[in-house]
Amino acid sequence: MRRFLQRHVSQVALSPSLALIAIFLYGFIAYTAAVSTTNSKAFPRFDNFVGLEQYWRLFHTPRWHVAFTNMFLFGGLFLLITILLGLLIAILIDQRIRAESFFRSIVMYPMAMSFVVTGIIWQWLLNPTLGIEVMVHQLGFTSFRLDWLTNPDTVIWALVVAAFWQGCGLVMALFLAGLRGIDEDIWKAAAVDGIPAWRVYVFIVIPMLAPVFLTVVVLLSLSIVRAFDLVVALTNGGPGVSSDLPSVFMFDMAFRRTNLGLSAASAVVMLGTVLAILIPYLYVETRERA
Amino acid sequence: MIDIRISNCNKNYGSLRVLKDINLEIERGEFIVLLGPSGCGKSTLLHIVAGLDRLTSGAIEIGGRDVTDVEPKDRDIAMVFQSYALYPTMSVRSNMEFGLRMRGKPMAEIRPLVEEKARMLHIDHLLDRRPSQLSGGQRQRVAIGRALVRDPRVFLFDEPLSNLDAKLRASMRTEIKKLHQSLGTTAIYVTHDQLEAMTLASRMVVMKAGEIQQVGKPEEVYHRPVNLFVADFLGNPGMNFMRGHIRLDGGHISADIGAAILPLDGYAFEAAPADGQAVVVGLRPESIQPISGLTSGGGAFTLTLRPTLIEHTGSDNLVVLAMGDEEIVGKFPTDMLPKLGEPVTVGFDLGRLSLFDAESERRI
Ligand SMILES: Nc1ncnc2c1ncn2[C@@H]1O[C@H](COP(=O)(O)OP(=O)(O)OP(=O)(O)O)[C@@H](O)[C@H]1O
Ligand SMILES: [Mg+2]
Repeated sequence: MRRFLQRHVSQVALSPSLALIAIFLYGFIAYTAAVSTTNSKAFPRFDNFVGLEQYWRLFHTPRWHVAFTNMFLFGGLFLLITILLGLLIAILIDQRIRAESFFRSIVMYPMAMSFVVTGIIWQWLLNPTLGIEVMVHQLGFTSFRLDWLTNPDTVIWALVVAAFWQGCGLVMALFLAGLRGIDEDIWKAAAVDGIPAWRVYVFIVIPMLAPVFLTVVVLLSLSIVRAFDLVVALTNGGPGVSSDLPSVFMFDMAFRRTNLGLSAASAVVMLGTVLAILIPYLYVETRERA
Repeated sequence: MIDIRISNCNKNYGSLRVLKDINLEIERGEFIVLLGPSGCGKSTLLHIVAGLDRLTSGAIEIGGRDVTDVEPKDRDIAMVFQSYALYPTMSVRSNMEFGLRMRGKPMAEIRPLVEEKARMLHIDHLLDRRPSQLSGGQRQRVAIGRALVRDPRVFLFDEPLSNLDAKLRASMRTEIKKLHQSLGTTAIYVTHDQLEAMTLASRMVVMKAGEIQQVGKPEEVYHRPVNLFVADFLGNPGMNFMRGHIRLDGGHISADIGAAILPLDGYAFEAAPADGQAVVVGLRPESIQPISGLTSGGGAFTLTLRPTLIEHTGSDNLVVLAMGDEEIVGKFPTDMLPKLGEPVTVGFDLGRLSLFDAESERRI
């Protein structure tokens, strides 16, 4: 017994947390998947197996389509804008500017706030009677209109801007760390070779940051799939359901519309989406290590 | 013809004076090695010549042109870095081509040039690989190749071999030497490896704390160091130092070092010695040998001393000899090893002796 303990001390120490993970993570994933094959309403019941019917219903619910499309629309725009501007800000800060830590803090501050606070701040800023629109009007540009929150076609931009505001700091910090990690001598060699700075960035430095890009994309993608509080605080899915995201849809079905079966099906589809992002990432990561 | 002229060059980082009034003139085709302990400002001086660091005051001329305010790319130099500094996302070929492409040279001219230099450095079979797929030695060849294709007026090397193992370092050293002999391009080479400095340099520059101590041919610096620092810095094992004072009597000059009186009549004094002047006598281990192994000339001087320790280094043997309260080290051939504790007669090659003023530490 003692020898067993000595040899397997790390396994023994880890086993309680492994057991907890097994139950509360994988157990409940399995439980959710099971619920999605039933016709549960307000409470999970397993006496009414319906097979894949909930999935069939899910894909025939227009609101789910709006939510699912929004996720990709919001996600795509958010990824693109956050990565491009985050990288740009990191490059600007990397120019050994004065008061660097001041600018760094400004960009990083929003990160310290919860999405709920971010959502409320931007709700005020984008409110036509309180925020930016009023400010611009006071400057004399009375024809200026900023109706993102009330226009179903543009409400997605409100989400993108607020999420960017929040996520930019992290992305900037990751890129800045990557830029600072690049060997000074590469810059010197490029200076001697006579390569202009922008070309060094485009052809040498940014390609060297590929692992950072991968990390950033995965982190942001996960936050896109999970985005819930931001939508609830900023638009509450509205106007109508035009800014719905799958997480909001799932919450709504489970707790307001007492349609647990359908909600579980949407949860499983979301999990599938996450895995579709994660598995290639893990594959690349483990292959690089090997 | 002077190729590089460094005049009254100073470099400060805040209040830290990294380079102090450096003056150096380098002839066309010379291979100058900057040697000195870590932190003495060798890299800084090299970066200033390259234009990567701005100097606080002074001027740099390359090829008769004042380049003090000229960008690195317009100085007609190429540089090889200790960390190789290859562009990791590009193939070896692109690494070598990139600088030329940036200068607007047509691809039709670049291709054959890159291939020729690659063959010269035996890296032509590696052209399509990435730097990460190369060994350290191969990477350094590529870095040298990248500098070579530019066909610059001046090559700058910052400790290019210090990341390589001893054997590879020795063979790369020979190759760099051959390369320089065939190209004849002016080069400045930074190292803190004495062997590299001695073998490569046409002239070497010994630095200490931002100041040039001595400039000269390697033999000259080795055998006639201008001060105690240079004498001590060069040579492995280091020079033996014996404290004593000068004796002048009846036209004869000698140094009294307690355990012996060394005649100095054959010594070429740089400054007239005074009677009783405190001095440090320096003698390299290879100038202390068993009497029969001593190369004649300079007047052999013998002493009988007791060996206290023998170290075998492979080719030579270091014999520690007790002399009064001090110990000195001699280099003995293997077939003439003394027995420990049994006094042995050793010869001092006084023709190779160096004499320093004890106070100013300068050669006299
Ligand atoms: N950017 C900098 N800011 C402040 N001090 C610096 C800077 N760069 C170098 N120094 C200082 O200048 C001195 C000389 O540095 P340098 O790199 O030239 O030394 P080195 O002779 O090349 O040493 P090594 O053999 O270790 O490479 C050192 O004391 C170093 O701390
Ligand atoms: Mg250095």
